[in-house]
Amino acid sequence: METDLLIIGGGPAGLHAALTADRAGARVVVADESFSLGGQLRQQTQWLSNLPGQYGYGKKRGTWVNEQLINQVGASNVQVLKKHTMIGSYLNGNIGVSDGDKTFEIQSRKNIIAPGAQEEAKVFPGWTLPGVMTAGAAQILINREKVLPGKRAVMVGSNDFSLEVARQLNSCGITVEAIVEEKNQIICSDGELVKTLENVPVYTNSTIEIVTGAGEVEHVVIQTPDGLKEVNVDLVCIANGFSPILEPFEIMNCHFVYQKELGGWLAAYNIHLQTTNPSCYIAGNAAGITDFGSILLTGEIAALSALEAMGFISSAEGTEQKSRCWRELANLESEKVLQARTEMLADYHQKHELDLPDYFMKIKGGKMYG
Amino acid sequence: MDKSTIVCRCEEINVDEIETAMKNGAETFDDIKRLTRCGMGPCQSKTCLNPVREIIAEYTGKPLADIRISRMRMPLKLVRMSALTNGSEGGNVASVFGESVEDGETNDE
Amino acid sequence: MVKRMMNNVFDVIVIGSGVIGSSIAYHLSESKNHEILLIDKDFPLSGTSGSTQAWVWVHSKVPSWYGELSMFSAELYPFLEKKIGDVEYKRTGGIAPFFNKAEREKAWRLVEQQAEVGIDIEVLTRDEVLEKEPSLSSHVAGATFSKLDGNVNPFRLVELYVKAAKRNGVQCSFYNQVIDIEKSGDIFRLETYKGVFRAKKVILAGGPWSKDLGSMLGVEMPVKQVRGQILVTEPLQPFLKYTIGGIRQADNGEVLIGYSKEEVGYDRRSTLDVIQQTAKMATDFVPALAKANVVRTFSGIRVMPKDGFPIIGEIPNMDGAYVAVMHSGITLSPLVGTLMTELLTDGETSIDLTRYSLARFEGV
Ligand SMILES: Cc1cc2nc3c(=O)[nH]c(=O)nc-3n(C[C@H](O)[C@H](O)[C@H](O)COP(=O)(O)OP(=O)(O)OC[C@H]3O[C@@H](n4cnc5c(N)ncnc54)[C@H](O)[C@@H]3O)c2cc1C
Ligand SMILES: Cc1cc2nc3c(=O)[nH]c(=O)nc-3n(C[C@H](O)[C@H](O)[C@H](O)COP(=O)(O)OP(=O)(O)OC[C@H]3O[C@@H](n4cnc5c(N)ncnc54)[C@H](O)[C@@H]3O)c2cc1C
Ligand code: FES
Repeated sequence: METDLLIIGGGPAGLHAALTADRAGARVVVADESFSLGGQLRQQTQWLSNLPGQYGYGKKRGTWVNEQLINQVGASNVQVLKKHTMIGSYLNGNIGVSDGDKTFEIQSRKNIIAPGAQEEAKVFPGWTLPGVMTAGAAQILINREKVLPGKRAVMVGSNDFSLEVARQLNSCGITVEAIVEEKNQIICSDGELVKTLENVPVYTNSTIEIVTGAGEVEHVVIQTPDGLKEVNVDLVCIANGFSPILEPFEIMNCHFVYQKELGGWLAAYNIHLQTTNPSCYIAGNAAGITDFGSILLTGEIAALSALEAMGFISSAEGTEQKSRCWRELANLESEKVLQARTEMLADYHQKHELDLPDYFMKIKGGKMYG
Repeated sequence: MDKSTIVCRCEEINVDEIETAMKNGAETFDDIKRLTRCGMGPCQSKTCLNPVREIIAEYTGKPLADIRISRMRMPLKLVRMSALTNGSEGGNVASVFGESVEDGETNDE
Repeated sequence: MVKRMMNNVFDVIVIGSGVIGSSIAYHLSESKNHEILLIDKDFPLSGTSGSTQAWVWVHSKVPSWYGELSMFSAELYPFLEKKIGDVEYKRTGGIAPFFNKAEREKAWRLVEQQAEVGIDIEVLTRDEVLEKEPSLSSHVAGATFSKLDGNVNPFRLVELYVKAAKRNGVQCSFYNQVIDIEKSGDIFRLETYKGVFRAKKVILAGGPWSKDLGSMLGVEMPVKQVRGQILVTEPLQPFLKYTIGGIRQADNGEVLIGYSKEEVGYDRRSTLDVIQQTAKMATDFVPALAKANVVRTFSGIRVMPKDGFPIIGEIPNMDGAYVAVMHSGITLSPLVGTLMTELLTDGETSIDLTRYSLARFEGV
């Protein structure tokens, strides 16, 4: 199979990149390992804010945005390969995908790799018992598979994501018996969300001592400042944060950097979202755990850079469009993440002796660069 | 934490086994892996990589940023042998017998 | 003794803690007569010894004098296990299948050749092969078979060599690269990441990095780097009884498959090209493997002396400097450790090593 641009991952970042490239006339193939497009957006029934201009700013439901993306891709010339997993690469650098029956090479001029993020496990005695799962897994079960993973739950972690999942569990009839937070207060910044859970006991400065049960979760012992506390539940949800997926980038021989605020280790890239492998661009959560708007915008920047490199758009147009994207991203992205991202980019450019373009230096009035 | 707590669920390796490997001098995920099999299970360390890195950081007193990740390998996801052969030309991988007798040069393994 | 070691002065420094270096350090330490340092730029098993098929393979090694060397080494394994512990050595017997009737003649030639040195080989008919190993393809035309072949767990092997060496007083310095070696009078001075070490004797056991180590002493090592890629399946019910040329099933049920050779320098990546070809080989040999899941692949760099045979012994015109570099180091490690110990201790060996000397190469 042959194409101009191959995109690995049909989550929001990959799909948005695909649409951007398709509009400029490039031949685009999107390969996703799953049966349906949309990635992690498929189970985000909650409202997303911080959408970029194209999506009309304002608040939209995640699943609504997902439908928009999928419909637009359906109406485009983008070729979609569902149930196709990138499993490796060939000696010549081309990506190999498998559909479970066969494995074949996709010859592409450029690649965008947007495999998203994975949820981090948390280790405590009993974490391997059935009934202990990540908050994301519980969310997939209730919203996508329409299966209830339990009746009574403990949520470990109190950030926006864990409380959102706690709320969703509650609203489908699962009693959340406790929220356990290591830090000395709830992390979630969304006051309204916290309010919807005001009847749930919150244990701060607390950790899971042990989870026990005969073959599945039955009891959770929580280490609180007032001593040990036991609750009887059949579900323990862990929200221990996300980390960018790395494997496809290693296969493509990309270098990695460590940036705590972006989720730990990730493939290094420049302001064109190009990795150290010149034919591979990166987008979405794989390029740093962030909010929804920035996920779409990184996809767009990656696509613009690839289009520019392949000659589908002029370098003047590329610069203009990317400069718009970066400005928009800087406005949407949380201060902490943006700071980490710019720091990583500046390091990258310095290390590879690449100039940062003027437009980038001027973002936020040059504030980012002191 | 209780030293018998499992860290690598695929291979059932606990905290104690990881610390023992470090007592024997191992300092990286991959070196611990070769001594304990931690990370060699079906998930290929997708689950245990960071928990183990945290244990290394704690044990060595180094910041997490200095604890390297493991070498990641194809196939990125479990794949059936038949899915690999379909679409393959086959061919260049030699056979032990063929080589041993043909050219007098050492075949081996 | 302690004082000298504190000043980083040793009798012997072994560079490289793969299967070869750690076997030498261990065997040399048995007499407890030497102050020994085992040094590695990474950690034992980070080199080729941690990415190997680990057959202890004898019967198809030709010419017969090389087969004999391999046989002698394989025969040491049971004794080695008594000394250093369970390295999961299993003398399974080895099958090298062929798929073309015409190859039967070559098989008989092999039998004759190897008989000269006492390597017992049977030539099996198609039915006999399938009776021994029913999972082999029914397209098989026959096979050579020998009871001498087997396999070992390379991770346990190297780990236990190092542990036993440490028990015997060997000092280890890991994550410590040797950057330069200088000879001044009778003493070698090693510059490393972690400081300067001195010794009367050095042994180069750097596997695929042997060229770099050689050049520190001004010696051109006549070796090539040959990448091999291996496929590993999920654990399967035990179904392969023998070590088959190219395929073996490990204790935990995983099947390891691979027999590829590429000269790509020190590049340990895997490629789908070779993975797919190897999968093809696997299913050609053992059709039932088509249904198995592949969990991972790995690759290792074989160090291959230019003529294919081990280089073992003192470096010509360089008193006190020794080298041990070879392919099939897993098979040969017990014997190489033993012979090097004899050489360093007595100046002579129970098996003549002239044939294996570095001096056989032109220009050395
Ligand atoms: C409450 C809440 C919960 C959230 N939960 C999550 C979450 O659990 N995880 C998360 O990442 N984000 C989560 N997000 C954020 C948001 O949904 C994601 O940021 C967004 O979906 C990420 O987009 P992406 O395109 O980078 O990755 P994804 O949406 O994860 O898309 C990646 C796609 O790549 C495909 N893929 C991965 N590897 C391969 C491969 N080797 N071959 C082929 N295809 C491959 C996957 O199937 C997937 O479809 C959450 C957001 C909120 C508000
Ligand atoms: C795919 C494959 C399959 C194989 N199958 C078999 C088989 O079935 N049977 C068999 O007998 N053999 C097999 N071999 C070959 C066997 O694995 C090797 O011969 C053996 O592992 C070599 O051991 P070594 O100790 O010489 O090298 P290594 O294990 O590579 O050890 C060399 C060590 O030297 C260290 N080093 C190098 N330079 C320096 C320096 N400057 N300073 C400090 N330390 C340094 C390295 O870090 C390394 O640890 C196979 C090889 C491959 C690649
Ligand atoms: S959890 Fe360690 S390999 Fe899967």
